Order: sequence, then structure tokens, then C-alpha cells
Amino acid sequence: MIRTQISLSEEEYEAAKREAEKLGISLAELLRRSLRAIVPPEEGPPWMRYAGMVSSGDARASQSIDDVVYGRKD
Amino acid sequence: MAAKTDAYVDTGALIAFADASDSRHTLFRRLFAQPPRLLTTTLVVAEGHGWFLRRFDTTRALQFLAMIQSMNPLRIHGVGSSEQRAGIALLQRFSDQPLTLTDAVGLHVMAANQVRSCWSTDRHMALTGIPLVIHEH
Repeated sequence: MIRTQISLSEEEYEAAKREAEKLGISLAELLRRSLRAIVPPEEGPPWMRYAGMVSSGDARASQSIDDVVYGRKD
Repeated sequence: MAAKTDAYVDTGALIAFADASDSRHTLFRRLFAQPPRLLTTTLVVAEGHGWFLRRFDTTRALQFLAMIQSMNPLRIHGVGSSEQRAGIALLQRFSDQPLTLTDAVGLHVMAANQVRSCWSTDRHMALTGIPLVIHEH
């Protein structure tokens, strides 16, 4: 484990504390979990870290790009 | 003569690779794990970035760009006035199809670079006869 120090705004700190309490974990654990969610794990060629980096919940996400980017026709 | 490229990468392939929920995720995860020489355009990169901005946020959109920059086998073809003209000609030729300029420029770039396969989930990208990888697997 590496010890580090970060600066948070009062609002961020309070919100993080509340969330940690709700989950029954420490503030440090909450921040570690948040980091793991945003930083992809190292695996294979460098770009493979990004495989499945998001989960939109839409099985047709790659087939409805135009609707998202350009907007759906009325 | 332009160097031969094995596959053209459309926006759908990049989204399917990055989005674990997509029904084509497993296929594109496997394809990108050991990719051949790949080609795409700056328009595809812009479209993918726009998708992440609209569906998620600026952090995810920047991560998408970092993913593109990390893909060494992927050559990014710049789109200038000649590519735009060729794309517009294709939009006029296929005016009965809801093609975007990004799609049309992709069709042109594939032909100009003698691409053998198109990594896309969009059937319109097969309009000029280059096979879609989703039909080969």
C-alpha cells in the first residue's frame, strides 16, 4: 500500500463520507473502489485495458450511434 | 499506390469493443486482442468521442481518445477536402440510404486503400461490396 494525500472540497468530502457510511466502508475504501472503476486494469496490449471500459446497459449500443450523436429523427 | 490495409474500423466496432453491454462486445474484444493492420478516419474518432460525451461524460470521452492513441496497429486517415468531395459523391450515389458523411468517407477510404474487411456493426458499410466482419464470424 502506498500512502497518499488528496485535497477535496468540503462538498466532495461530505458527499463521500455519506456514501461511505451508507455502504458501511471507510472513506479510503470508497476512494479505492472509485479509482478501480475509472482506471482500467493492465492486461495484454495497451489498448486492451479499455475493452469493456463502460457498460451502457444497451445491447444495441453500437447500432444506434447515429441516434445518440446526431439525434433521433422525429 | 496506397499501402494495403487489412481492415477498416468504423465507430460501431470501437463502441462494441469499449461497451461491455453491447451484443458484439465479445467478438470485437477478440478481434482487437490480435488485430491486423487497421485503418480509420478522423471523422470516426470524432463520432466515437461524441458518443461518449453524449452517453457518459468528458472523462469517459477523454478515455476513449486515450484508447485510440494507444492502438498502435490503427492508422488514422485525415479527412480533407478531397475525401469530403468523394464522400459527398457517395452520399449522392446512395441517396436512398440514411448514410452519414462519416459512413460515406469511410466507404471511399476503404476503396482507396484496398481494404479487405470492414469492422462495423452497420449494414450500410457493406454498400460497396466490402464484407462486414460481423458476417464472417
